[in-house]
Amino acid sequence: MTPTPSTTRTSEELVRVVGLAKSFGGTQAVRDASFSIAAGEIHALCGHNGAGKSTVVKMLSGQESPDGGAIHIGDEPLSLRSRQVAQRHGVALVDQELSVVPALTVAENLMLGDLRTRWLNRSHHARFRSLLDSVGLDHVRLDQRLSELGIGERQLIEIARALGQDARLVILDEPTATLSDVESQYVYASVRKVAAAGCAVLFVSHRLGEVLALSDRVTVMRDGEVVATSAAGELTIDSLIHQMLGEAPHRLSARPARAAGDVALAVEGLRVPGRVEEFSMGLRGGQVYAVAGQLGSGASDVLRAISGLVPAATLRLQVDGKAVRVGSPAAAVRAGIAFVSNDRKSEGLFLDKPISWNLLATRLPDVTRLGVLSRRRWSAALTGLLELCGLERRRAGHDVGSLSGGNQQKVFVGRCLGRDDVRVLLLDEPTRGVDVGGRAAIHALLRDAADRGMAVLFSSTELEELQELADVVVTMHKGVAVRRHEGDTASAVLLREMTHGAEERP
Amino acid sequence: MNVTAAPSAPSVLRRRRQRTRNELVVDVVVVVAVLAVLVIGLTTDRFVTVANAKAIVTSASLVGIAALGLTLIMIGGSAVSLAISPTVAAVGMVFLSAQSLGLVPALAMAIVFGALITGVQGAVVGYAAANPVVLTIAASFAIAGLAAGITGGVSVSPSGLGYDRLNATPGGVPLSVFVLLLLTLAVEWTLRRTGFGRSLYLVGENRPAAQAAGLPVGRTTTVAWLGAGALFAVTAAFTAAFNTSANVNLGGTLTFDAIAAVLAGGTPISGGRGSALRTLAGAVLIAAVSDILLLRGYSTGVQVLVKGLIVLLVVIVVHVLARGRHA
Repeated sequence: MTPTPSTTRTSEELVRVVGLAKSFGGTQAVRDASFSIAAGEIHALCGHNGAGKSTVVKMLSGQESPDGGAIHIGDEPLSLRSRQVAQRHGVALVDQELSVVPALTVAENLMLGDLRTRWLNRSHHARFRSLLDSVGLDHVRLDQRLSELGIGERQLIEIARALGQDARLVILDEPTATLSDVESQYVYASVRKVAAAGCAVLFVSHRLGEVLALSDRVTVMRDGEVVATSAAGELTIDSLIHQMLGEAPHRLSARPARAAGDVALAVEGLRVPGRVEEFSMGLRGGQVYAVAGQLGSGASDVLRAISGLVPAATLRLQVDGKAVRVGSPAAAVRAGIAFVSNDRKSEGLFLDKPISWNLLATRLPDVTRLGVLSRRRWSAALTGLLELCGLERRRAGHDVGSLSGGNQQKVFVGRCLGRDDVRVLLLDEPTRGVDVGGRAAIHALLRDAADRGMAVLFSSTELEELQELADVVVTMHKGVAVRRHEGDTASAVLLREMTHGAEERP
Repeated sequence: MNVTAAPSAPSVLRRRRQRTRNELVVDVVVVVAVLAVLVIGLTTDRFVTVANAKAIVTSASLVGIAALGLTLIMIGGSAVSLAISPTVAAVGMVFLSAQSLGLVPALAMAIVFGALITGVQGAVVGYAAANPVVLTIAASFAIAGLAAGITGGVSVSPSGLGYDRLNATPGGVPLSVFVLLLLTLAVEWTLRRTGFGRSLYLVGENRPAAQAAGLPVGRTTTVAWLGAGALFAVTAAFTAAFNTSANVNLGGTLTFDAIAAVLAGGTPISGGRGSALRTLAGAVLIAAVSDILLLRGYSTGVQVLVKGLIVLLVVIVVHVLARGRHA
C-alpha cells in the first residue's frame, strides 16, 4: 500500500518544519522531518518507539538544537536555543512528565513560567479564571493547592498554563498516557478549544483511536523519517499501523518451542486502583512471558504489584501451587520472586559499590556462615555469577557506576540468576537504555534463565523485543489485558492492541 | 536519563583522568594537613611528651566510643542521632543506681538500656522510614524529660563502689583508651567481615534499591541502632564513673563532638561509606588539634572554632572525592 498523499494546505500554514535532522553520537535519530501545521489545526505525530517523534518535539520546544533543517513559525525562521526562547516565540509544551508544583496553589502554578506575570495580583485572577474555565476546570478554585487535585486535573492545569502563554504552537506529548477515560475526555475537549482559538496543535500519542478521533491530519514517522502526512478522515487504525511499521514482515520468528514446566506463578485478580482493572495470568517454568503495553497501560504496574512494591494493590498469588502474600519486596523475594526495575539507577544497583557486592547483594545469607562472610563461599558464588553474566573476573572490583548501561543491566539481571530459590524473574523493560550488543547479551541471559526452569516475565513496548524474546505475549491497554498470544503473531496485531485495545472496541 | 550507548573510549579516559585529578587534590590536601599538624605539634612546647600523648588519647576515648556508635548509624544511611547526650545521661543514671548489684550486672543493665532506647528509634527509622533528625530531636527531649522527672532533677549518686574499677589506669593509660581500641577493631571487623556489615553499606547507599532487592532494610537499620545504643552506653558508664555522679547534663556536648569525630574521619553523612578506623582517626585528630591549641594558650572559643573548621574541610574534601566518582 502506498502512503496516502499529503493534503496541501499552504495558504494558512502557521508552523512549517523543513528537513529537520538530528543525530546523537553515531545514531541518526531524525533524518529528514518535514511537515506543516495550519492555524487552528490539530496535527498528530505518530510513530513507533525510536521513530524520532520525541526528538522532533524536543527540537520544536527548544530542548535540542537541530543539526540541519529549519523551523518556521509564522513567516520567520527561528533558532530555538532553549525552552525559554521557544516559549518567547509562542511554543508551549505540555509534557508527559507533569511540571506543575503540587505544594503551590492553582494560581501560583499558572503564574510559573509565565513570562508576563512577575508577581501575583488581582488583575491576573480574572485572566486565570477564564483560562481554567476554558479547559473545563470550572469547579477548581484559584487558591486551591494542586496536591488536592487529581492527576488528570493537574494535566489540565498544565494545558491551561500553556494556553495562558499566548502560544501559537501548543505541543502535547502523550498528555493522556496516564489518565483515565473521563479525564482524557476533558483533555480532548480542551485541546479542541485551544485549536478553535487559532493555535496550531501538535499532538503526540500512542493511542491511535484518540489520534484519529481528535486530529485533522496525521504525520507518521518511521526510522527518523516522515513517511506520510494524511488527513485523519482518510485513515483507519490499520492503515495507520501499516504506515508506522512499513512493509517488513514482523512476525514471531519460528524457534524451537521450549518445554513448558509446571505452573510456577499464578496471578489472580490483580488490581491496582486507577492503574490496573483486572489482571490474571498463569506462568509456567521454562517459558518467557511478556506484558506488552505503552506508558500508562498498567503493564509495569502489574510487575511492580507482583514484586510487592505497590502497597495499594490487591492480588492473589501462588508460587509453585502454594499461596503466598507479597506485602513487601522482602516477602516477594522470600516467595521466590525477583524483580528487575526499569530504573536501575535509583531502584536497582548500588552504583558506588563494586560489581562483586552488587552481584552478591541479594544472597548474603548464602555466602556467610553464622553471619560471618566466608571468603570461600563468596568467591565461589562470585565466580559462577561473573561467568554467567559474561563479565571479566578482573573487573569484579570496579564500581558498577563506571560501567556502560549494558553492563550495568547485566549485573542487575545477573543478581537474580543462578539461584535455586528464584522461581519467577520479573523485568520491567529489561533493555531500556542498553546498546545493541548489551541487549543481545541480556536476551541470552533471560532465555538461559528460562531454560534452567525459571518463569520469566517482562514488560516491554518494543515490538522487536517482544518478537525475539517472548514465548507468550499478553497485550495490555488502559489497565486491562487485551489478549494472550502464543506463537506466531504479526507485529501489527500487537501494536494495534497496545495502542487501541481489543478489536470489538470502535 | 537514558544511556543510549556504551561510553566511547575518550569519555572513559576523560572520566578516569577527572577521577585521578580529584583524588590528587584530596591526597595533596590530606598530606598538607597532616604535615601542618605535625609541624605545629613539633614546634609546640610539651606536645611530644608521653604525658601529652596520654592526654590526647584520653580525651579522644570517651567521644570516640560514642562516635563508633554514630558511625554505624551514618553508614546505614540514617544520617545522625541527635539524642546522644541525653541517652548518655540517662544510661549514666541507670549505671550508677545499679551499682549495688555489682559492676558487671550494672554494666550489662546500662548496655541493654542504652541499646533498647536507641534501638526503638532505629526501628521507627528502619521500618517506618521516619526522618532520623526529627525523630531523634523528639527522642532527645523525651529522654531528658523522663530522666529529669524520675530523678526530680537531683544528681544520681552511685549505690555501690564497683564503678571505680572503670577509672583504672593499667600501665598509666586509662581503661577507656583500651576499650576504645578494642571496640574500634570489633566494629571494623563487623562492618567488613559480616553479612550485617555488607547489608548496612548497601542499605546506606541506596535504600530504595535495597528495599526492591528484598534486603532486610528495617532489620539492618534496627540492628545498627541497637549497636549504636550499646556503644553510647559504654561511653555513659565511663563518663558516669569518672564524674561519680550523674545528672541530666552528664552528656554535655557529646552529641556534636561525636558527629564532628565521625565527619572529621571522612565518613559522609549521606551513608554507604565510612569505617570505624576513620572514626578513630577523626576522634584523635580533633583531640590532637584541641590539645595543640590548649598548649599554645588559645581560648576555648578558638578551640571550638577550629574544631568546626576541621569538620568543614574534611566534609568538602570528601564531597569532592565523591563527585569524582561518577562525574
